[in-house]
Amino acid sequence: MKGNKIAITGIGETAFLRKGEETVMQMMTRASLAAIADAGLTPADIDGHVSNKYVGHPSEEVAHAIGAATRRFTAVADTAGGTATTGDALRLAQLAIEAGLARHVLVPYAIRSTKPGGVYGFHAREPQKAGLEMPAGFFGQPTYFATMANRYAHEFGMSEEELASVSMTYRAWAALTPSAQKRDPMDLNAYRQTPMISTPLRVADCCLTTDGGGAYVVSAVEAARDLPHPVIAVQGVGIGYNNYPHGVLFTQKPCTFDYPGWDSAAQAYAMAGVDPKDLDLAQVYDGFSISAIVQTEMLGLCDRGEGARFYAAGHAKPGGRMPVNTSGGHMSGGYVPGINLLIEAVRQLRGQEGDRQVPDARLCAVAGLGGNNHSTTILARD
Amino acid sequence: MGVPIYPVHLEDPLFQGFYDGLDAGELRITVDAETGEWVWYPPEVVPGKPDAVLEWRPVSAEGKAYSFTTVIRSLLPGDHKAEVPYTVILFEPDDAPGVRIAGILVDDEGVEPACDMRLRFRPVEAGDHRIAGFAPVH
Repeated sequence: MKGNKIAITGIGETAFLRKGEETVMQMMTRASLAAIADAGLTPADIDGHVSNKYVGHPSEEVAHAIGAATRRFTAVADTAGGTATTGDALRLAQLAIEAGLARHVLVPYAIRSTKPGGVYGFHAREPQKAGLEMPAGFFGQPTYFATMANRYAHEFGMSEEELASVSMTYRAWAALTPSAQKRDPMDLNAYRQTPMISTPLRVADCCLTTDGGGAYVVSAVEAARDLPHPVIAVQGVGIGYNNYPHGVLFTQKPCTFDYPGWDSAAQAYAMAGVDPKDLDLAQVYDGFSISAIVQTEMLGLCDRGEGARFYAAGHAKPGGRMPVNTSGGHMSGGYVPGINLLIEAVRQLRGQEGDRQVPDARLCAVAGLGGNNHSTTILARD
Repeated sequence: MGVPIYPVHLEDPLFQGFYDGLDAGELRITVDAETGEWVWYPPEVVPGKPDAVLEWRPVSAEGKAYSFTTVIRSLLPGDHKAEVPYTVILFEPDDAPGVRIAGILVDDEGVEPACDMRLRFRPVEAGDHRIAGFAPVH
């Protein structure tokens, strides 16, 4: 698979709300129609669909809801979180477009974090967690990631101030982002006022609870040249997989925070023919501050073990040398797994972000953690 | 420090041996009966060996903490406010490198939890069942 063959031609989002009134299907439809219109297309132009197995709505439902014509290509991303929405979906779209099976592929996603059963309900249904972890009180993503943070600190060193600098950095970007959910300024004192959930992770170290949706349209680069926006090409995509199922993911891996991001980044940079120093900015899947730190290292934005100190030094802040999560990420902007990070990357590369625009942004990496898989995508302004 | 109280659902017999071990005062994990190799957590299918039989065997009561976290806000389904805080330990038995067993830190007065801290297993009463507790080795 070669780079610069496909482009993201349309993007759309709903409002990101702490508690919304719309269903997942309504939000996906709203975001999809916005993305199609943004691309200068109509629903009748959409002939390819990549759906997401965690959303629970197959492509025929989406196609029906948006009023699309006959589907010529459908696929389901077989990964979770950011890997599905920012990596897998793009690969599938490129396969379809290069094979001539579709011209314009829609990738929608929506989440109701406030749904009954909560965001951790799927973990409670895993037999190994229910049988061996929940009775010991080991349950919920913040608790899992807290054990990663403590191990990381043991191996590499990480002060409270360094950990806090991650969420403070993203909040600084959110303050410049009108659509972000959390925009109040947050200094170290304000960080310390947020409740501790599971040491060392506070509420501020965790992604938000969001009801919202996002969608994008993928087209061939040649087709993109006839559409309204600058061409934002997919220059590289890499996906790292391993075979640890969710039941053992947070306990039995030799290193629990060793996501396959080294592999995905190496693939993506090789496909794109660039390296980390060529980037103008990055978007990093920040489910938790610790996972953002590790992925920042995996993208090559700093050395291994230096991720927290990279943030503490201010490199990723507005005005820093390597802006990261420029709409506030998942921890301050909104948690619509991965897709709002990819959409923000496209907006930055189009150069229309106002107060938070990274000057002359032409190359952006998007890191997408998803369970035990990981994607790295390199987007470039043509 | 508190103790998490959450029911053990043993509809899945894969895990009964662990709790039988706790009742007997032992930490037990599963091995492939043919090879004697640790297979942990017990999977529905042993990789590459759908006919494999698992057996429960005791492991060392001494080991170390791979990692830990002190739970301040329990995310377990239901109301568990009265049970926090407690410190979860991912325990690595000395004789089963790479195996990790979830339990809680006990007898830890004056001791800060830490990765690689030396620990000794002792069962802890948690409502109508036992869970794994790990006490610092001084």
